[in-house]
Amino acid sequence: MTALPALLVFAVAALLLALDRRGQAPTFAFLPLLVLLPLAAAPAWIPFATGTWTALLIALVIAMLARDGTDLLHGECAVKLLWVMGPALALSCAGQALLTVATGTPVVREQWGVLELGLDPSFLWSTSLPLSMLVGLVLLGGAPFHFWAADMFQGARPWLGPLAVAALQAAGAAWLGQRLAGIEAFPEAWRVAEALLTVAAGIAFLAGAATLALQRRPERRVGTLASLHGALVLAALAAAHGRAPSGTLFDVRIAAWSAHLVVALAGAATLARFLPVSGGPAAPGAALFRRHPVTGWIALLPLFSLAGVPGTPGGMLWLATARDLASTGRNGLLLALAIAWLASFATAGRQALEAFGAPSAATPDRAVAWQVRLALWATSAGIALLAVRAYARP
Amino acid sequence: MPRLFRIPPHDPRITGGVLVTAGLALLGTTSLWLAALGLEAVALAFWTWARADAAAEEQIPRWAWLRRPALALWLAAAVHAVAPTLSHTAPGLHGTLRMLTRVEAAAIVWAGLELLAALPLARPYSDLPGPLLKIRPWIPVLLPAAGFVVLWRQATHWERVPEARAVAAILLLVTTLLATLRAFGRRQWTASLRWMVVADSALAGMLVALGTVSAEMIFLLWLASCGGRAFVLAGELRSAAPRRGAALARLWRLATWVSATALAWPVLLAVGFGSVSGPRWLYFASVGVPVALASWLTVRRMVRAPERRLVPRPGHAVTLSHVGAVITLGLGPLALLGAWWGGLEPSWPGSVVALGPAVVGGWLGLVPERADRARSRAAREAARAPSGAAPPPPARFTSMLPRLGRLARAVARAVFRFVIALEQRAVGLVFGFARTLVSPLRDLHTGDAQEYLLFLVGLSVLALVLPLLT
Repeated sequence: MTALPALLVFAVAALLLALDRRGQAPTFAFLPLLVLLPLAAAPAWIPFATGTWTALLIALVIAMLARDGTDLLHGECAVKLLWVMGPALALSCAGQALLTVATGTPVVREQWGVLELGLDPSFLWSTSLPLSMLVGLVLLGGAPFHFWAADMFQGARPWLGPLAVAALQAAGAAWLGQRLAGIEAFPEAWRVAEALLTVAAGIAFLAGAATLALQRRPERRVGTLASLHGALVLAALAAAHGRAPSGTLFDVRIAAWSAHLVVALAGAATLARFLPVSGGPAAPGAALFRRHPVTGWIALLPLFSLAGVPGTPGGMLWLATARDLASTGRNGLLLALAIAWLASFATAGRQALEAFGAPSAATPDRAVAWQVRLALWATSAGIALLAVRAYARP
Repeated sequence: MPRLFRIPPHDPRITGGVLVTAGLALLGTTSLWLAALGLEAVALAFWTWARADAAAEEQIPRWAWLRRPALALWLAAAVHAVAPTLSHTAPGLHGTLRMLTRVEAAAIVWAGLELLAALPLARPYSDLPGPLLKIRPWIPVLLPAAGFVVLWRQATHWERVPEARAVAAILLLVTTLLATLRAFGRRQWTASLRWMVVADSALAGMLVALGTVSAEMIFLLWLASCGGRAFVLAGELRSAAPRRGAALARLWRLATWVSATALAWPVLLAVGFGSVSGPRWLYFASVGVPVALASWLTVRRMVRAPERRLVPRPGHAVTLSHVGAVITLGLGPLALLGAWWGGLEPSWPGSVVALGPAVVGGWLGLVPERADRARSRAAREAARAPSGAAPPPPARFTSMLPRLGRLARAVARAVFRFVIALEQRAVGLVFGFARTLVSPLRDLHTGDAQEYLLFLVGLSVLALVLPLLT
């Protein structure tokens, strides 16, 4: 399910990288992409979401950003990621260590059984549990941690940004999935985790929706849409009461989510580079849409899917999460999800209309590079493929 | 560029026309998804036309609000997708299902009401002509029609939700009053007609909310009244065709008056003599006043168009205008007959009283014309008299009529503008408040890397302290 989209995204990244490094000697930048790709497309492939693996992933992204010393935006993104991810990971590792000390075992599934005996004071685990989840929340990029995703899309190159964001978000989902594995064995801990997940998802949906209404730069809008997808995972986890969060159903959902996320982000982030900064509905359209209107229409598909437009694979993910929330009676979170969905749908529509803009007599002289157009077509084809698979599945 | 990837040159007029036709056809279906797609197509059609207009900078923002009702319908469709077994008739709905039914009803009512100019967001759209096409003064008529069709076709999703029904009925009542006032205040007959279509559609929407007449008959009543006015408006753009000739003008006057009265009558019956709780006299008066005013407008302004040619162009004895007028004339009473056949059996006194506002308005509309006719007859007789006596002076009341009319129009304009300004102020206040609440989101992150760390540390401390406090 994930191999084909992953290959497609790698091809797209390679195309864009080749275009970016045109006239320069071949570099080894392809190699880290090969490492990032499976992590982004399939978090289930992550052997175990321990602190070491997550730290390695974060370090890889930061190193790729910092590699080019002359690129100031890359450097700034690297510093920002270092500032936010480093302490978050440290705090989570501390929380995890506290739980290990309290229970005497590093195996998460065993920890809940030990805590159920009630030998330890409750404030110890009720403090360390939220701390241990912190890096998962930060990596998923849900508001109020949504700024790093938007910064990455604005600052990082299009061949790196989407892949790195998808890999980090997938790592966040994997972290939370692992951290909460078997938690239903200790209902009190589940209640604490559930409350945290509900609050985090609610804030992520509402703040994300409000942020979308304010944003004017298309790259940042894509970043916020990515953060809303992080919120979807939080909501799905919160709705997993009575079912094992790391169970088969959840794994299948996360696999579909990450496969879609990496393709949609690759397409939307590439397109965002060619979209105009919002200047009202009567501003002139983007050069891509004036010169290559068919490509423009096709290229909107990943953005629409990311925004959850009905009929797209992204829309089905939103719908599946909403159904989970409705079936477990989480009305508040369901309303927050509805508001976020409306905001993202409205933003995608507005973005599309702004892309075509008011008519302009002049057609741009220079064509958009064929590599970019091919990348846009490829990611749209990937989304179409995911849609076909989603509809074909019983 | 390869030929395959080139969009063939297209005429935005035709593209928009196809989109709007397809959109309205989809709105006529009961599926919420198709209806949402239909409204999206209508919005896209307006955008296509506005984009190609010479004043695109003005037209594109003017019609940008059309995506809002479409979004509301998408939300309603999504609610249905979340809970496919959602039933509005199931007794004792509670919890999530209760919430979902309310959200769905609110979304549909929002979509319908906004198109019907019943929400204070884009209410004055009927004041201005539409984009691009030659029939631009006619285009806005499509929107209240679409609004009514949304409310009527998707009635099963909202008419059984009491809160949605009550809110819709009140807002539609206010809209009827405001639209009629605006129609009265506007000097241009085409603008007045646009507002009267809004008022009629709002009345038809009220009929849906009240639920006293079957859905098919409501549609026929609406079709007669709004269809008649839309036909007259289209005719106005073709040299005022429905008002060419005394007989045709009189026929159209009768047809539009009868169809509007047929639409207003069951509404007045329901609010004045039906099972509506509350002060019925107040409801009756609130509907009766705009009905009387609309009736006055219909009769007073549907006058014969002056013939500018010395020798009138010969035409067919029976034109499309004649056929349209006869259909309009027959459709309203036919629908009422159908409603009676379907079980609408009001009391005699109630029926007569409910006819009152329309009859009084129509009669008052005839007064100035009759006075004019009497005056000109007296002047002719005075001229024919051998003594050369001066024509008798006009009666005091009839001589005051033009001045009274001007004053009344000015008052209507002022009231409408005051209400719109008030509404826009209130909406601006709400948006301003929301912006104030949301602006910290922007200030939260100014882009400095250090802020990331500080923010994270703050949150972590909070995460540490909160469990200890609880």
